[in-house]
Amino acid sequence: MQQFQPLLRKDQQPVRYLVVDDSVFARKNLIKMIELFGGEVAGEAGDGLTAIAEFNRTNPDIVLMDITMPQMEGIESVERIVRQHGDARIVMVSSVGYQENILAALQKGAKHFVQKPVKPEVLYEILRYVLGDDPHAAAVPVELAGEHHS
Amino acid sequence: MSFLPEDRSSELRALFFESAAELLQTINEAGLSLEKQPADEELLRSVRRAVHTLKGDSAACGFQKLSEIAHELEDILTLPIGQTHGNELAEVVLSAVDTFESMLSAYQKQLEPPPATPLRALIQRLLQSPSASPSSGESAQAEISANFHWSEYEQLMVSEALLRGDNVYNIALRLDPNSAMRAAAFQLVRNVLHACGTVIALRPEDNLAAASVEVVQAAIASAHPIEHVAHRCRIPSVVSDLRIEPANRAESDEHELLGEILEAQAATRAADPAESAAAKQSPASAVTAVAEATLRVDATRIEAVMNLVGELIIGKSMLNRTLAEFEAQHSRDPVRVKLAEALAFQSRVLDELHKCVLKIRMVPVEQLFRRFPRVVRDVAKLCGKDIALEVAGEHTDLDKGILDALAEPLTHLVRNAVDHGIEPSSERLNSGKPARGTVFLNAYHQGTQVVIEVRDDGRGIDLDIIRGQAVRNGLLKAEDAQRLDPQDVLNLVFEPGFSTASVVTEVSGRGVGMDVVRTVLDRLKGTVHISSSLGKGTSVQLRVPLTLASIQTLLFRVGGRLFAVPLSSVIEISRVNEQEITRVDQREVLRLREQILTLVRLGGLSRIHAVDAVGEKKKKSFVIVIGVAERRFGLVVDSLVGEEELVIKALPGDIVASDLVSGASILGDGTVVLILNVPAILTRLSRSLPLGAIA
Repeated sequence: MQQFQPLLRKDQQPVRYLVVDDSVFARKNLIKMIELFGGEVAGEAGDGLTAIAEFNRTNPDIVLMDITMPQMEGIESVERIVRQHGDARIVMVSSVGYQENILAALQKGAKHFVQKPVKPEVLYEILRYVLGDDPHAAAVPVELAGEHHS
Repeated sequence: MSFLPEDRSSELRALFFESAAELLQTINEAGLSLEKQPADEELLRSVRRAVHTLKGDSAACGFQKLSEIAHELEDILTLPIGQTHGNELAEVVLSAVDTFESMLSAYQKQLEPPPATPLRALIQRLLQSPSASPSSGESAQAEISANFHWSEYEQLMVSEALLRGDNVYNIALRLDPNSAMRAAAFQLVRNVLHACGTVIALRPEDNLAAASVEVVQAAIASAHPIEHVAHRCRIPSVVSDLRIEPANRAESDEHELLGEILEAQAATRAADPAESAAAKQSPASAVTAVAEATLRVDATRIEAVMNLVGELIIGKSMLNRTLAEFEAQHSRDPVRVKLAEALAFQSRVLDELHKCVLKIRMVPVEQLFRRFPRVVRDVAKLCGKDIALEVAGEHTDLDKGILDALAEPLTHLVRNAVDHGIEPSSERLNSGKPARGTVFLNAYHQGTQVVIEVRDDGRGIDLDIIRGQAVRNGLLKAEDAQRLDPQDVLNLVFEPGFSTASVVTEVSGRGVGMDVVRTVLDRLKGTVHISSSLGKGTSVQLRVPLTLASIQTLLFRVGGRLFAVPLSSVIEISRVNEQEITRVDQREVLRLREQILTLVRLGGLSRIHAVDAVGEKKKKSFVIVIGVAERRFGLVVDSLVGEEELVIKALPGDIVASDLVSGASILGDGTVVLILNVPAILTRLSRSLPLGAIA
């Protein structure tokens, strides 16, 4: 397993994640990576509706959101969450076949997307980027040696 | 009117090849000058313009390969490349001319064009050479070739943002080639750019195009420092490479316009003189700022505008009628004057509008004449004759539709003149003429008509041969033939039954498709007139109205119904008593100032039967003297109504089954007016007269 410098918030606390996916396996997979990055899982949800409730309850730093889910699709919950929390950082997680949906989610306010199967190093870079989004939250605590983007 | 689509497209193609040849000439000359001054912005711009035009035109003609390679060439015609690779650039431009030329000639022969691979390689080499982007600070990023060609509007936005004190950055981002979701990647780039500031320009502009695009170019105005924007633009797993540079006035060749605007604004605001002096001086840019002055528009759109203007004209006459009624009822009402003034103003504007719209359709007859040097050359070669073509009046304007319809008859006439009109050199020399024959092509305005004349200095038409042929063809009896005056004899060549392929050459060759010529001219509400003098030559004049959309007419009544004739064909109007009309040889004639005038009654023309011949009982009536070319006749009418501009509505064939009516129109009060087809009446007259009365 690769080693990653922990991603921390500006206040040096672990980044808190909400993981939304209807597949338990996929959630476990993501959670493992989050732990690898020194993060903390604030909540989990298996559908869009629960995701909204969980977001309101836990107020996470990052949401990892699947596109296709029962009850409420990812796009709609992105829209609802962003409407209430303009600064929400949502990263879409999806397979290539759903490009249209990802595009729509991006238009609704998702901050980034990552392709399934998720590679930890890719997700790491994306998270680092997304966390650095807001200069006030400025969450790029550690500079990595040999910084690459791709 | 209808033109064959292939006819149309072949004309377009011909036009394309002509203009392409001119463009190549321009590019060639500019390429030669580029060799001496590779960094001359003006020169580069003119090449780029020509290449750009070639690209667009060839794409329009469906010559995809030419269009593509022209597009690629366009990309390297930039100042940075000119500055760093001047000699190579000139070389590429010149070899591009050669490549284009061979592609064009292949297209012209309807062959597959040769591959443009060598040229493409040259272009690629210039594009990839690292110094192509000298302004980029980081050499590692120089691979991204971006020209930041913003539109004029976008440049204006850039300059305004700069004036406001914003930072403006030109950004080029290479989308990660490994990304399987290009459209989503592009959307994300878009989001990020928008988050960084105001996006002034973005290429490509939509997600769909992004699927095939590798490099996204943008200009954004931002309050953030360049480092922040650069950091945000390095989007992991989406952007693989980035080039960002501050946009400023002197930044690239495309920006002089903006420099100029800045100068102008600086001047008006009396800004710091040092600053305005710093703004780039570019005296030549005024010329280049002039936008393309021509616009191609779908003909159907113009047609739609024409129709609407036509409806407005009908509306105008409706208003005029209402005003007249109002005047009769309230002659002392002051509102009357106001109404009349408003109407006069409106109709003045409407007239202007009408003229403007008509002008849109006008094209110089040169467009048609251009093809004839080639026709004359080819036909002359075929018949082994030495013939020159002289063209005059090619700048005369004519309605495009009419011009298109004239192409066929005019080609007939020119071919005839070359093939049959002009004698072989030996015969010419024997009759004391220069060995080289000449065909004259001339066009000029005459009133509201345009005359196009085809004249030759050949042998002329022998009337006796025509007479003999007409008798043989059963067109008329031998004794009638001798009585016909020379003009009528000449006009026989337009009779449909006159010529068959076998007689063509015997009758001085006249007659090939001459009836076609007249059919077309009738359809165009024009006339054809032929004159010839034996041994000296023949001249055929085609007269067509400037436009087909509307005509000035004279309205009159016969038997209670309203008719109109084109005002241009009315020569005079006379009042006559029935006693003055005499019958000679089964036709009614009138002696008018020592001239004998044949009279026509609408009731007598067989096919307009709706009209009962009430007029004949009246003691007094009017005679409208109508003339077409040299021919005259008098139309007996009951009463005159007045002049009116009529918008012609074409009549479907099944509504009026008479060729004597060329169209109909609606007056302001809803009355339908039939417009008489004067040439057709004349034809009927001359055809039926020798054979008997107008029944």
